[in-house]
Amino acid sequence: MTGVSFDFAGVLTGQPGQWLLSGFLMTIYVTVVGALLATLLAVLLLGLRIAPLAPARGLAIALVELFRNTPILVQFLFWYFAAYNLLPRSFRDYITAEHPWAVLPVGNVLLAPEFIAAAWGLGVFTAAFLAEELRAGLNAMPRGQKEAALSQGFGHWETLRFVLLPQALANSWQPLVTQYLNLMKLSSLASAISLAELTYQVRQVESYNAHAFEAFAVGTVLYLLLGLVLGQLLIVFGPKPVGARARRRAVKANRSATAAAIVGASGDA
Amino acid sequence: MTASATPLIELQNVHKWHGDLHVLRGIDLTVSRGEALAIIGPSGSGKSTLIRLVNRLEAISEGEIIIDGVPTARFAGRELRELRSEIGFVFQQFNLYGHLTALDNVSLALRKVRGVPRAKAEARARDLLDRVGLADKAGHFPSQLSGGQQQRVAIARALATDPKIVLFDEPTSALDPEMIGEVLAVIRELPKAGITILVVTHEMAFAREVADRVAFIDGGTILELETPEKFFSAPSHPRTRRFLQQVLSPLSAAEAS
Amino acid sequence: MPDFSVITQNLPYLLWGRALEGQPGGLLLTLIMSLEAGVLALVVGVLLALAAWLSGGWTRRILFAWADFIRGIPLIFVIFWLYFLLPSLFGVNLPDTITVVLAIAWFTSAAVMYSTLAGLEALPKGQVEAGLSAGFSRTKVLVNILLPQALPNVLPSLVGVFISLIKDTSLAFIVNVPELTTVAGQVNNRTQIYPTEIFLFTGAVYFLLCGALSLTVHLAGGRRARPA
Ligand SMILES: Nc1ncnc2c1ncn2[C@@H]1O[C@H](COP(=O)(O)OP(=O)(O)OP(=O)(O)O)[C@@H](O)[C@H]1O
Ligand SMILES: [Mg+2]
Repeated sequence: MTGVSFDFAGVLTGQPGQWLLSGFLMTIYVTVVGALLATLLAVLLLGLRIAPLAPARGLAIALVELFRNTPILVQFLFWYFAAYNLLPRSFRDYITAEHPWAVLPVGNVLLAPEFIAAAWGLGVFTAAFLAEELRAGLNAMPRGQKEAALSQGFGHWETLRFVLLPQALANSWQPLVTQYLNLMKLSSLASAISLAELTYQVRQVESYNAHAFEAFAVGTVLYLLLGLVLGQLLIVFGPKPVGARARRRAVKANRSATAAAIVGASGDA
Repeated sequence: MTASATPLIELQNVHKWHGDLHVLRGIDLTVSRGEALAIIGPSGSGKSTLIRLVNRLEAISEGEIIIDGVPTARFAGRELRELRSEIGFVFQQFNLYGHLTALDNVSLALRKVRGVPRAKAEARARDLLDRVGLADKAGHFPSQLSGGQQQRVAIARALATDPKIVLFDEPTSALDPEMIGEVLAVIRELPKAGITILVVTHEMAFAREVADRVAFIDGGTILELETPEKFFSAPSHPRTRRFLQQVLSPLSAAEAS
Repeated sequence: MPDFSVITQNLPYLLWGRALEGQPGGLLLTLIMSLEAGVLALVVGVLLALAAWLSGGWTRRILFAWADFIRGIPLIFVIFWLYFLLPSLFGVNLPDTITVVLAIAWFTSAAVMYSTLAGLEALPKGQVEAGLSAGFSRTKVLVNILLPQALPNVLPSLVGVFISLIKDTSLAFIVNVPELTTVAGQVNNRTQIYPTEIFLFTGAVYFLLCGALSLTVHLAGGRRARPA
């Protein structure tokens, strides 16, 4: 690329800089809200999936397979163009009305159809993967753990809550982090339903002053950086693998675990 | 331990099938309050199944188990959970909760099943850890303890809810030889405290010294139920004699056969 | 009330686009792109895995860094980059479809590399030692002894990777390549009032495609193919 000069000031300052900053923040918001939703829904799905009732399990299997085996982009389109309009009129009017409190710095609006469809879509899609990872973790637990809890008088749900889940969560934390990181990357596809997140703004800058290379480079670096920071935070503050607790080596293990989680990050869409 | 004492546990014609496999074939057994019963027998004879039926880790196929005068075979839900919380169980593989410290392992059921406040539950857990000689390991996780220490924590855990009965399924079989003694020493104290114990074991010396009676089970039936003196000196059933010969002096038994 | 006549009326367009005029689209294009990208990703990914296995040190580290970089950014950015870089590399503008296929293949080859390498490294060490002591070179051991054993083992996870790839082709929507998702979007734009029917149908088609693949592996006795 000799002879080509780059103009990073052209995308980092002025109007383009504003756009990129606001897009970056929007990516963070939708990731955080989507991840919270995903966690909540995953717990519900898992509860159904391992319920003693066969129809409940069947429903959970159907939902999980449905969300895992269709592209998230199609899911976004469905939630945004179809499902959202099936919501009650009054609710939609409320959403589209002006809410000064829902406007964040640099003008990001959270209470908007695009944001709701994106966060919900990310939440539902990721929940299916989280629930499956957790279930795999539960299945990998030795039988004796459950028997010990039952022999002490714990019921089905208490056994799960106090004995099995904490250990499954700790043991499958790394694949779970991978899924959260994947959620962050998949938020880029919400640009297709006009959510003004980072990818959307990168394209806007590109068509604004044709600084394609610079805009792509800045976007790429920001996604990589966000992934690294998010992965590190989740690993450091997340549960440690059972058995590795209270060991001094934990810190060192964290470092390689972060690397592994990022490495394992899949591109599932 | 007199014959006239009211029985604490009474099995009446108990059967267990695993599919087509008839694992227990009509067990009748009475255990008195404070008794120590050793259960021995060859592999696959149904020893584990027998004690797992008492706290219903296995479902009863047929028959009745009366505990403290109450028929329990139909128990389910809350009744069953309450029954289980009054019976301790110690596993061959310890099965300590891997994510909890020794202290939390012992106090968890007190807090979450019995609803005892944390401070009180932990005080009791410390007492119990002290009783099994592990007061200094309260903050350790299972992965930081030796097998013998883990099993002693497991015994403390089984004692947490103050059970009248504690069931042991080969409590020393997974231990290195040098750790067996420390665990048996803890177990032998229990009958002295009035706790009824049923111990599935391969430790003949332990059965001889600690048990009030020894049950020999083979092919899903109790073939012999005797005091240790009689059991080890004059076993009546030929299968018992052969079994004892094999476990007591494996080499000569191999030559004889 | 759902009115699926919008689907029946547009069915040919959704299924094969303008294939009769020589421009395949819709589901047909999704399948073509998936197969092209799948074959490409498989070949490149396995070759990279072999290279990583054979070479230690820097080569291996560079391969991993490359794969981590690719998997660390959103796929849509890989597509953007190829749009930007390919013309300057080849001097001509490639068709959009080819650009997207190359981007997806590139992205997916990293996953294929990881799966294959994991399969190779899961084999018992004795296999290598036995091969070497029989006089094979390391490369011969790899190609003749290890790979034939590893590939069947990693087949379920490779099918999972392929399922992800099929779903990834939907990203062509963002650059307007007329595969299934894009034509569904077009029909939705044109008709305006049937989004529910259109996107339910689209989702169902992907579900049947991916679900059938995952079920096949499941029934074939392997672990279920996990889209990953
Ligand atoms: N869940 C099960 N399904 C089918 N068969 C079982 C099951 N559990 C136990 N069995 C069978 O029941 C019989 C008795 O098993 P049990 O575990 O009670 O024997 P044991 O006397 O404790 O033997 P060991 O000394 O080896 O522990 C064995 O033949 C065993 O294979
Ligand atoms: Mg047993």
